[in-house]
Amino acid sequence: MSILWLCMIAFSILYGLGIGKVDVLNNVFLNIGKETFDFVLPLVCMTCFWNGLLNVAKDAGLLKKLELFFHPFLKYLFPDIKDDKETMGYIATNITVNMFGLGGAATPMGLKAMEGMQKHNKKKDTASRSMVTFLILNTAGVTLFSTTLIALRASFHSQDVTGFMPLALIATAVASFVGLVIDRWWNHRD
Amino acid sequence: MINTQYILPILILFIVFCALCKRINAYTSFIEGVKEGLGLFYNLFPALLAMMCAISLLRESGLLAMFSNWIVNRISFIPSAVVPMILFRPISGSASLAVLIDIFKACGVDSIEGIMASVIQGSTDTTFYVITLYFSTVGIKKIKNSLAIGLLADLAGISMAILLTLIFFG
Repeated sequence: MSILWLCMIAFSILYGLGIGKVDVLNNVFLNIGKETFDFVLPLVCMTCFWNGLLNVAKDAGLLKKLELFFHPFLKYLFPDIKDDKETMGYIATNITVNMFGLGGAATPMGLKAMEGMQKHNKKKDTASRSMVTFLILNTAGVTLFSTTLIALRASFHSQDVTGFMPLALIATAVASFVGLVIDRWWNHRD
Repeated sequence: MINTQYILPILILFIVFCALCKRINAYTSFIEGVKEGLGLFYNLFPALLAMMCAISLLRESGLLAMFSNWIVNRISFIPSAVVPMILFRPISGSASLAVLIDIFKACGVDSIEGIMASVIQGSTDTTFYVITLYFSTVGIKKIKNSLAIGLLADLAGISMAILLTLIFFG
């Protein structure tokens, strides 16, 4: 990760200097701090709200119910944490909310799930098997309806607003499936 | 077709209703949950700053655009407008959305390019961002092979998106 990061920065600067974009580079260096802050702040505020609501859902026993529903499927993917009902509940909630295309609301639940998995992690600075699997499910983005996309296509007066959805669904399913298979094959020793 | 606008209000109503039935101290649990959320900023900001710095440099310097031109000249069956979309999708959510809007404006929302870009946008999430976000909140430094697997899954999803669009709309 560190090497990738350094290479991205080094090659970008070299290329930028090479084609004479010094002012653009300077602009990035001066503004990136504030840009990131502006990006993180709304995310944190929204996460606070959802964390509060999730805590209510947890205390009302709702997460356990959702977990129970998804358990037969999830226990194969996360064998090392299958007895932790709370964490499995957060994983189930994250996947469900993601499916409805509410990525913003799914993130706080995903972060709670990560905290739960970290409790079972033996090496605290290294990703555990469950974490890698969970991340693959999230990066592949199992989405049934993408609300942003539908709204965007509608705003461009598409004749067929939702026509792309069956194809996107197959593509996202393939991405998740391929990701999980590679994960199992590559990390089967863990 | 389900109207997605109603999902959140109904979900929240449902949670509140269940809390009412169980007679738990919902107000206190809400406040406790929010408090936990506040700690997020401390973990999240450093990691995202590092990632966003590298990504904006990559984009602003024109290196990413140069790379996408290079690919356009080699792979001819993919419409050239869609190539930046393929490169941006795993790296930056806002950039890929901007490319998508450009494609809608330039080629039309129902053109093959517009549909292909929509399918790509819907086929996967922003891998770099998700990995930075999730691992940094719990302080993981060694991410093992998750980035490689995530990108391979993206590759599979995007290839599938292109293939399916060419078959059904081409």
